Amino acid sequence: MTGIVANIQRYTIHDGPGVRTEIFLKGCPLRCKWCSNPETISPRPELGVYPTKCIGENACGSCKVACPEDGKPLRFRDGKLETVDRTACTDCLACTADCFLGALKPWGMEMTVEQVMAEVLADRTLYQKSGGGMTLSGGEVTVQADFARALLETAKREGIHTCVESALFCRWETLERLLPLCDFFITDVKLMDAAAHRQWCGVDNGLILENLTKLAGTGLPLVVRIPVVPGVNDGEENLRATAAFLKENIVSGGGLQQVQLLPYRRLGEEKYASLGREYPLEEPPQSPTDERLRELTAFFKAEGLPVAVGAGTKTEE
Amino acid sequence: MSEAKRVSSIAEKVEPYDKVWGVGASGFVTDPSPFERINLILDDTERTTNGEVIADRALVLTEAYKKYRAEPHIIKVAKAMAEVLHRCPVYIYDHELVVGTLQVTKKNAPVFPEFGLNWLIGEMEDGLLGYSENRTHDYFTHTQETYEALKGIQADWMGESVDERLTPILTEDEIKGSHMGKGLFLCNAYIFCGAGHLGVNYDRLLHMGFGGIHDEIEAKMAELDESKPEDAKKMINLKADLIANEACTDFILRHANLALEMADKESDQTRRQELLQIAENCSAVARGVPQTFWQAIQAVHFANTLVLIESNGHSISYGRFDQYMYPFYRRDIDAGVITREQCQELIENFNIKIWDMNKVRDHVSINIFANGGIGGPCLTVGGIKQDGTDGTNDLTFMMLDAVAHTRIPCPWTAVRLHAGTPRKLLVKVANLIRLGLGEPKIFNDDVTIPSMVANGRTLEDARDYQVVGCVEPDATGKEYGWHDAAYFNINKVLELAINGGRCMECSAECPRYAKCVGVGKQLGPNTGSLETFTDFQQVLDSYDKQMAYWCGKMIAMLNKVDLIHQEVKPLPLLSGLMEGPVEKGVDITQGGAKYNFSGPQGVGVGSVGDGLATIRQLVFEEKKVTGKELLEAVRANWVGHEKLYAYINSDRVHHYGNDDDYADQYAKFGLETYCKYINGAPTAHGGHFEAGAYSVAVNVALGMSQHASIEGRKAWEPISDCMGAVHTLCCPHDVKGPSAICNSVTKLDHSLCGNGTLLNWKFSPSALEGDAGRDSLIALMETYIQRKGMHSQFTVASRDSLLEAQKNPKDYRDLLVRVAGYSAYFVELSRELQDDIIGRTELSF
Repeated sequence: MTGIVANIQRYTIHDGPGVRTEIFLKGCPLRCKWCSNPETISPRPELGVYPTKCIGENACGSCKVACPEDGKPLRFRDGKLETVDRTACTDCLACTADCFLGALKPWGMEMTVEQVMAEVLADRTLYQKSGGGMTLSGGEVTVQADFARALLETAKREGIHTCVESALFCRWETLERLLPLCDFFITDVKLMDAAAHRQWCGVDNGLILENLTKLAGTGLPLVVRIPVVPGVNDGEENLRATAAFLKENIVSGGGLQQVQLLPYRRLGEEKYASLGREYPLEEPPQSPTDERLRELTAFFKAEGLPVAVGAGTKTEE
Repeated sequence: MSEAKRVSSIAEKVEPYDKVWGVGASGFVTDPSPFERINLILDDTERTTNGEVIADRALVLTEAYKKYRAEPHIIKVAKAMAEVLHRCPVYIYDHELVVGTLQVTKKNAPVFPEFGLNWLIGEMEDGLLGYSENRTHDYFTHTQETYEALKGIQADWMGESVDERLTPILTEDEIKGSHMGKGLFLCNAYIFCGAGHLGVNYDRLLHMGFGGIHDEIEAKMAELDESKPEDAKKMINLKADLIANEACTDFILRHANLALEMADKESDQTRRQELLQIAENCSAVARGVPQTFWQAIQAVHFANTLVLIESNGHSISYGRFDQYMYPFYRRDIDAGVITREQCQELIENFNIKIWDMNKVRDHVSINIFANGGIGGPCLTVGGIKQDGTDGTNDLTFMMLDAVAHTRIPCPWTAVRLHAGTPRKLLVKVANLIRLGLGEPKIFNDDVTIPSMVANGRTLEDARDYQVVGCVEPDATGKEYGWHDAAYFNINKVLELAINGGRCMECSAECPRYAKCVGVGKQLGPNTGSLETFTDFQQVLDSYDKQMAYWCGKMIAMLNKVDLIHQEVKPLPLLSGLMEGPVEKGVDITQGGAKYNFSGPQGVGVGSVGDGLATIRQLVFEEKKVTGKELLEAVRANWVGHEKLYAYINSDRVHHYGNDDDYADQYAKFGLETYCKYINGAPTAHGGHFEAGAYSVAVNVALGMSQHASIEGRKAWEPISDCMGAVHTLCCPHDVKGPSAICNSVTKLDHSLCGNGTLLNWKFSPSALEGDAGRDSLIALMETYIQRKGMHSQFTVASRDSLLEAQKNPKDYRDLLVRVAGYSAYFVELSRELQDDIIGRTELSF
């Protein structure tokens, strides 16, 4: 079986306990405007363009030779790649084959379960030493549910700790197939108001919250993240509604390890540019200040929730 | 960064094990110590290795050599040493509790004419000793009087130095490959100074004392029968040992007297009492064994100072401090004569005393070994004891706290780890690493000890190993290991192996051309060329043959250096402080020690791994280029071959450091072929050669004498460092993060490198923040240990801050970074070395 993998990152320490290998799967049904990983949104491999890495059409020129459109989408200036005309490009990725330093690079590639797991298993000793394992992330993991299940099955068979990070926008039946193979789960709550959620994330939040409630009911160790996007979801009303939802529906399951506040950062702009897309936030907000984060921490703490800033999975010692 | 600069000291006197001092914040704290005394001493401590050249030692020595010229050489040497110790000044500084200097004031350097005077006088005359564009760090002033005095004795030393005596006995074949020729191997380390690289026997020092050693020498002499020629020779050696031993006692007593004189004049009652105690300590250890922790630490400092006055070799190391000091600590604490805080303060004072010492080197050497100070004063803590149980104790932690409290690059601290190291110590080590001083380095008992046993040491001696200098495991006080004998460029061997034994840049412009290709010869034997090889195995075979040839040349040259040292500079003072020389009646330079080795390092493991993988993949599998085309591209320094250059530097080609067996197997082959021809070869002072695999910063120097190479390296760029992956001007070749590097590096058999291996890690501070950052660093160290990696060390600094420091050096005076084997002030380093450190792959999670 194969899947479309955006990236495999070994030695990550922020998505699940210990040292982990994280598999970023492509494809996401949400369109969060602050998304910092735009290369994972489309389910298909895409062309990434980094003109500064081009060594020149005369010295190399292999992209022009490889392009089935006779190089028409490729625009050069002063002998170096300047941009790619996306209207003429089909994302066939033929041009990337001999672009060695990655001026034209594929975002995502098809990989077999065995190929992915070979990378994962290479760090078995580190997982044992650190209490780590494999994390599936995205994109949205459930978009490639069969592939994800196959990876999780193999990992479990090998005795590797597993973690899934998902936004939960999927049928419950899809999640149900993954949960028995998960040791740890990471999800997030972005906005409580359905209309606002549609506006900022492109989809309704009803299914997400319903799934989250059910997920919490299983008692699986769970981290709930809240991206703190100033002016979008850090208003008092949303904060109160979020806290209330967590207290009413999530805490009782017993699995909640931590509520993590992830301050908005203006990241991913280079990736948007490489995909030929505009950064979706027209007026990006400032990152929340440390003081503001302390206020928010105090607020959630007062609500009795195990809150922390950042993606480290441990509570204070 | 400006934020970090404002951090003030929040040190406690005795730190909790999980104290976080900051992440990547080295050098940005004023008053780092919780002890006012230590901060006062630090205020008076220069964060440089600049100083003044002082002629006293040279003048006294010269006079004494003349006075005793009728004596056997070794007796003359011992008596001259006694005169130096008796006549050159001694000093005690304000505030200090541990005393003793190199008979010059802080940061100033004595002169060692026995290792050559011509270079020093020449540099004074040519303006190369002081600050200039040729010497932007490690520069020395001198007075006109000093110059004239040295000039006055220059003729007395003509033909007496190691380098003058060596040159006539070298063959053209040895010269051509060495630093005197094409720089394939650099043997210069022991030509302009002593061999060093050892630690005195702390058991002898602390349990016999100088008096006990004296009695042992006399007893040994009484056993000899001088009618036997070998005993007659031993008698001469032992007499010399005795003279040197008595001179040590005299030197220490001079400090007792000075302390008494100073106490007499001292109006401050507290200081007066301290001076009286110092006098008592000195009197106690001049002959006897130390009775207290304070006296023991004083004895240790004196012993090392004395060894450094006798000879200026690098890496006189401080042994397993936490082990040999612990009985004194325990006894004093239990008896209530000292507090843990007072011991902590003494340790911090002791550390600064090491940094006070300095050494003057020639202007070429300082570019290779920048900011090194006295060079290599390694101190080891942690690890298993001789009975196999874990030896971690209070002093292990206190020494690491002392490093954080003083934030100077001394001592070079090594922590021994093993499968049973307590987690508390791992946390302490991780927190100190995160501070960003580059200290400590970590060593793995679980691979080092078996490797040492395999090389002929007993299990008990191997378990009691210390780390010497940068990298080298050593049976403390029992071993004359010649650990840093030479650096050998295995990447240059690959160049000759694929190019018919010729240099890539071979032309009539080469200074050696007239003695080489110009007369129908070649640099190395012609073992084939990539132009004509028909399969990959021929490449490997050629590398093997070329390696055998060059290892033979280096070994021959090193043994000649060794013989000259034996002849010119016996070391009777040191001989008494080691196990073996007195017992055998043989000077340490001539094989007196219990164990004898010589350790030259192979450099360019990553470069050779990538070079061979590239050849196999491109020429023999993909057939993308012919061997001829590849050679032409390298000869052209890649000009006109940009696409090939990009390809070879890209992740489409198998590269060492990515947990990719294809490339890793050739790094392994490249290094192990070197080890095959080094290990076991006999050395001139007895014992045998033991290979090492580290470069310190010599990969920069070796690269400066090598044209472009196959792995995508342009001409004169550094070759790969230590056990690390290639990073060329184009890009780093390791792209899969720390765990992949760990796996690649540990595929190589570190136990073949008895002289030590080293892997440099460089982390951005943000990668190590918080508990998650700390715990993953610990997991990485544990994994490296479990996978039998021998040694690694850590730079924690962001690329941006280093670039900023290059631009505004004045704002970054105190920024310490790891070079390799030692830490140094970043802004004091040469530009090339700064760039190499910046270019190391910055790892993040």
